[in-house]
Amino acid sequence: MGFLNACAFVITYIIDMGASVMLPIIIAILSICIGVKPGKAIRAGLMIGVGFVGMGLIVDMMNANMGPAAQAMAERLGVSLSIVEVGWPGMSGITWGSVVATIAIPLAIVVNLIMFATKLTRTINIDIWNVWHIAFTGAIAYAVTGKLWIGLLGVVFHSAITYKLGDLWAPLLSDYFGMDGLTAPHGASAYMAPVACAVDALIDKIPGLNKINISVERLQERIGVLGEPVVIGAILGTIIGFLAGYDPQGALPLGIKMAGVMVLMPRMIKCIMDGLLPISERAKEIMHSRFSEGENFHIGLDPALLLGDSEVVTAGILFIPITLIIAILMPGNRILPFGDLATIGFFIAIAVAVHKGNLFRTLISGSCIMIMTIWITNQTVPWTTALAVSVGALEEGGTLAAMDQGGCPLTYIFTQIFTQENIPGLIVIAAIYAVCMAFAVRHSKARAAEIAAEEAEA
Amino acid sequence: MKKKVIVACGGAVATSTIAANKVVELCKKNGIDVEICQVRINEIESNLPGTSLIVTTSKVKRDYGVPLITGMPFISGVGVEKTEAAILKVLKED
Repeated sequence: MGFLNACAFVITYIIDMGASVMLPIIIAILSICIGVKPGKAIRAGLMIGVGFVGMGLIVDMMNANMGPAAQAMAERLGVSLSIVEVGWPGMSGITWGSVVATIAIPLAIVVNLIMFATKLTRTINIDIWNVWHIAFTGAIAYAVTGKLWIGLLGVVFHSAITYKLGDLWAPLLSDYFGMDGLTAPHGASAYMAPVACAVDALIDKIPGLNKINISVERLQERIGVLGEPVVIGAILGTIIGFLAGYDPQGALPLGIKMAGVMVLMPRMIKCIMDGLLPISERAKEIMHSRFSEGENFHIGLDPALLLGDSEVVTAGILFIPITLIIAILMPGNRILPFGDLATIGFFIAIAVAVHKGNLFRTLISGSCIMIMTIWITNQTVPWTTALAVSVGALEEGGTLAAMDQGGCPLTYIFTQIFTQENIPGLIVIAAIYAVCMAFAVRHSKARAAEIAAEEAEA
Repeated sequence: MKKKVIVACGGAVATSTIAANKVVELCKKNGIDVEICQVRINEIESNLPGTSLIVTTSKVKRDYGVPLITGMPFISGVGVEKTEAAILKVLKED
């Protein structure tokens, strides 16, 4: 008993020091367990701690500067946008701070291997970084309900659907992006693309609209640096400063600080990735050893791979203003999109492939995607805030929101089942998402059939 | 002389870190002195001056006037040797 008590004391003592201490220890031990040399393992753990500290600094700076400005702007203009969203860079860092995230890595791999062995999926995920999306559902459910088993169930739930999404999008990655044998099961582009499938089927039925096909080439080259995160941050910060009633002496520094947030946030989060690298490489080896060449499978990779496609880049640029307009027009919306703006392509990358690069359709389905995202993000603010406070990334009394993953229907549906705060919301969103999923399955089958037909011809 | 290599991906966090790590290891093994510039795809243009090679983890069709190699094999683990050979060829030439 004395030994167990001592163990419990040590564990609680470490947990009480917060994520920036607990995580490096867990990651270092985990790295050593899978065969990384102790020196490298300790460095990996420390890098994660550094990433966490860096992220905390940036989130604090953003909330301290942008928070009051957004509130002042909201009051002056009579709009309700008072919560500046941190985006996926901030949200991923916070999620890695949850104890659920560390357990989620092996758990997600086990779920994958079981589903692959039982032929429930053809997707083999080797992307450990994006397990944060899977972990998010668990971390949120754990932070909100306080029950670890619900958190772990959330991980299983989200990972199972992730691999199924991997199966669904594999034909689209093959025929549109030209990435045979690969798929992108993670993140907003994968879980929101079913919406695009439903919209695509609907547009097909509308005479006139179904003939429109727009393609804008080289938009990025034309707008040049305007599409860069540093410029977006500076412009947005300055404009919000002026709208908040600041004089130039207040607005311009705000612009520079927000440019800083845009540039520095990914640099900080990159440290977390550095720390995960040994584990990530080892997991890749394990997954590779489990399947043989020639077997029918798709390798699950990071959606970042899709963000180089020129149509995705173009749509990504157009959706910066569109997302802001949607946020302003949506009744009761409190979310001011910011952290996700520079990489808004993550929301629509697979939608672009669903529409085969037809920009007109991407604009319509992307708008639906952003409306649904902002709608859900508003409802999950208390949850994301609770998670951020629980890992020590946010002080008590602050608020935190992120569109990427905070607006995830899967997380929302799962957590809402247990909290039952908003039953009508749960039913409506679950129903919409189920219908979209049905269209997604149909769409994926049709695309797979097209590929098979082409191969038969050739 | 130090060679500047831009390694870019969608978010400049995950896949580009993996690819950058591989490029550094590869160059170390072959005695090439490199400086890595890890950015998002939409930041490539501003970082071009002095660049010998661009490695992107996604397919980029645009021509930047600098050799561009897809580093996707570093992520998927399929076809790594071919990519490494291509990278060495560019860096050893100029």
